[in-house]
Amino acid sequence: MKGLSTIALILISLLCALFIYVAEDIPVFGDPNSPPIKYVRLFSIDADALENQLKRSVIPNNLMDEFEKRGFPRPFRVEKVTGMEGEWNAFVSKEEIHYSREEKYYWIKKKGDKLNIYRYAFVVRWIEKGQEETGTPNMVTYGLADYRGYDTLGETAVIFTAGIAVILLLRRRGKL
Amino acid sequence: MERSIIVETVSRVMIPFIQLFSLYVIIHGASGPGGGFQGGVVFGASFILYIVVFDITSGRKKLPESVNTVLSSLGLFIYAGLGLLCIIFSSGVGQYLNYGFLPFTANFEENRALGIELVEIAIGITVMAIMVSIFFDLAWKEENRKGGEE
Amino acid sequence: MEWLIEEVFAKYNYWISIILMLIGFYAMIAKDNLIKKIIGLNIFQTAIFLFFISLGVVKGGTAPIVSEEMISKGYVYGNPLPHVLILTAIVVAVSTTAVALSLIIRMYEEYGTIQEEEIMEKSREKGMTGV
Repeated sequence: MKGLSTIALILISLLCALFIYVAEDIPVFGDPNSPPIKYVRLFSIDADALENQLKRSVIPNNLMDEFEKRGFPRPFRVEKVTGMEGEWNAFVSKEEIHYSREEKYYWIKKKGDKLNIYRYAFVVRWIEKGQEETGTPNMVTYGLADYRGYDTLGETAVIFTAGIAVILLLRRRGKL
Repeated sequence: MERSIIVETVSRVMIPFIQLFSLYVIIHGASGPGGGFQGGVVFGASFILYIVVFDITSGRKKLPESVNTVLSSLGLFIYAGLGLLCIIFSSGVGQYLNYGFLPFTANFEENRALGIELVEIAIGITVMAIMVSIFFDLAWKEENRKGGEE
Repeated sequence: MEWLIEEVFAKYNYWISIILMLIGFYAMIAKDNLIKKIIGLNIFQTAIFLFFISLGVVKGGTAPIVSEEMISKGYVYGNPLPHVLILTAIVVAVSTTAVALSLIIRMYEEYGTIQEEEIMEKSREKGMTGV
């Protein structure tokens, strides 16, 4: 018994060191700008003459080439964000695979001398379009039973299997 | 274990209200916190309270074994069958669990909301029956069981 | 001093869940009684759920239920995605605990004890190969 305790303590100290090493990547508690909540940063390019073209709602060719080079789907329309200066939304058309109508995909923001390109996390689509597509106010319920309904079917099968396993293990001859 | 009048009377009064509250949690899962899993566990907890306070044999009389097994399969059956109905009623256009094609009302979005409610009730039934069944199996003790002698 | 405030005090949700996780892990490995191992498993799982849900908190945010009056007061919504994934994980944890407890009942009927060392000795005495 003593040997097992010392092995356990050594393992725990090694794990502790690993967790402290990883601690700098974790976002601050309650940060509204962390990646899972709104956007993920893709890349940034220099903005010499591109800004004027974006103001006229035309996608510049340099930007399209950058998207092609890195393998992202290409946008077909650019629109200015209402109420903010120097920010644009780019939309992806319905010929791209997996999308049945046009979707809001990229966020272009001008900062200093460069243009930063972000990509919206898909939680944004849940928050914005869920109420009109399903008619229920609760985001967690329509996320569980409508958008992720297949996972919930498997979940119900898991708890059913646990009940059957306990019956098989613990019931012997004789009526209960 | 001796019987206590206070505990028995209070639990007799409280059990219908616990079941009513669990029904509220299941059905109002669409416009507030709640849902199928949460309401099902509270409903099962009311039966477990009855078993803990009174005897286990009188608890088994309230929910017989045949009803227990039928209820635990009924929820999963409704859930999987609803998906298949969506394919049949849309004549091949819709996908497996796309509730919009069920013929409840004439609106696409309202059908989805009603489909979500039906699915939550099915989940609640299954979870309740499984909770009570697991508790019965773990707590049953025969009169002449020889444990630990072999 | 800067990094102390930024790294340690601002991320207190991470450190609390790490401490709980290590307590549960120690109980699973080093304790002798079988029931205490199952309790350690439950503590481990609860720590993981707490950490994952705390990633979806937004400062100055409200619950993820669509309502007009909260938007007009200027609140932002929290993230609904971790709640959806953890609901499934909680059900899996309950199922695992139920099957593990029923296995412990069968082992007690077979060996007469639930201390792990005595079970290993008894199974060696009985001559079970491969233990």
